[in-house]
Amino acid sequence: MRTAICDLFGIEYPVIQGGMAWLGTAELASAVSNGGGLGIIGAGNAPPSWIREQIRATREWTSKPFALNIMLMTPFLEEVIQVVLEEGVSIVTTGGGNPGVYIPTFKEAGIKVMPVVSSVALAKRLERAGADALVAEGLESGGHIGETATMALLPQVVDSVTIPVVAAGGIGDGRGLAAALCLGAQGVQLGTRFVCAEECVAHPNFKRKVLEARDRSTVATGYATGHPVRCIENRLTRQFQALERGGASVEELELLGQGKLELAALNGDTEEGSVMAGQIAGLITDIKPAAAIIKEIVDQAESIIARLSNSYVGVRHG
Amino acid sequence: MATIFDRLKKIVIDQLGAEEEQVVPSTSFTDDLNADSLDLVELVMAIEEEFSADNRELRISDEEAEELKTLQDTIAYLKDKGIEDE
Repeated sequence: MRTAICDLFGIEYPVIQGGMAWLGTAELASAVSNGGGLGIIGAGNAPPSWIREQIRATREWTSKPFALNIMLMTPFLEEVIQVVLEEGVSIVTTGGGNPGVYIPTFKEAGIKVMPVVSSVALAKRLERAGADALVAEGLESGGHIGETATMALLPQVVDSVTIPVVAAGGIGDGRGLAAALCLGAQGVQLGTRFVCAEECVAHPNFKRKVLEARDRSTVATGYATGHPVRCIENRLTRQFQALERGGASVEELELLGQGKLELAALNGDTEEGSVMAGQIAGLITDIKPAAAIIKEIVDQAESIIARLSNSYVGVRHG
Repeated sequence: MATIFDRLKKIVIDQLGAEEEQVVPSTSFTDDLNADSLDLVELVMAIEEEFSADNRELRISDEEAEELKTLQDTIAYLKDKGIEDE
């Protein structure tokens, strides 16, 4: 399976690992890239020195292309961009806002840019600003989310731009990849599925929480702050919802959320911490190497596409 | 004959779901009309479309867009770009 995204980034399969804060480390990113996908280091709110180390470690462990995801709300934004330029990162993805003003800086340095968007207007604007590709991310995703579901958002974004679009949100296996291709995507980005990669540094409790999740296990909180977040329901999300119902201020809500992803992802406190995961968590039942996850997704998608073609295309004729 | 304000007011009402009486020159898109960052992107795109002409395409950069907080700011910006009341 080869798409425009493979050619753009020089990767074998159109499967991209979401640049998750704390979990998109050199271990996972290099494993995904070595498996033929595109691994992404998640800068999150991490300090620039940590990001530099992760870039260097990834480069040591893989000779394949990889990317860095810049979370635009980070307090270290200018420094992170500096690190990207100094370390010669060749692909950047962005999340958490409008990266328009930074795109010229990246383009001048020859860096490919693929912003994550959740609306058609931003997609159009970023194409104009020089983005090489876009990730259209639906509200099924874990972590910070938009307001439109992938099934509805993706074809609308695809129709609004001429650059390749990658689908994200609600994709966990080859059926999701095949569906995304049907909707006009040139690839998929998966976060939650790669949390359950062997190489992901998430605490075993965090992975277990994802494996145990069912279809209705996630909730989105924080709409009042303007930055809603999807997590697996636990004591923290219930506390959040109670505060929201009580009309808590944005400051109070943000304070409750601070440091909670790290608490769950690395320290394994999945009740008081924030277990960010997408709605597809319920589909995920095993932990395996990143390369095996990618292979399985691509093989399944290829066989589905072949089967659908045989079942439905040409039936009239025969 | 429509003034820049009239044209802008219509866009703001359409894009941000504002009530007519809410929209005066000093109205702030975010503080008064609760526009979030994606609403602002849509608003800027709509302003570009409305105020572009056959011989003059209006392009508002992200840096410029950040300064457009009220209708008044926007009117001043558009006048600066040579757009006039009709």
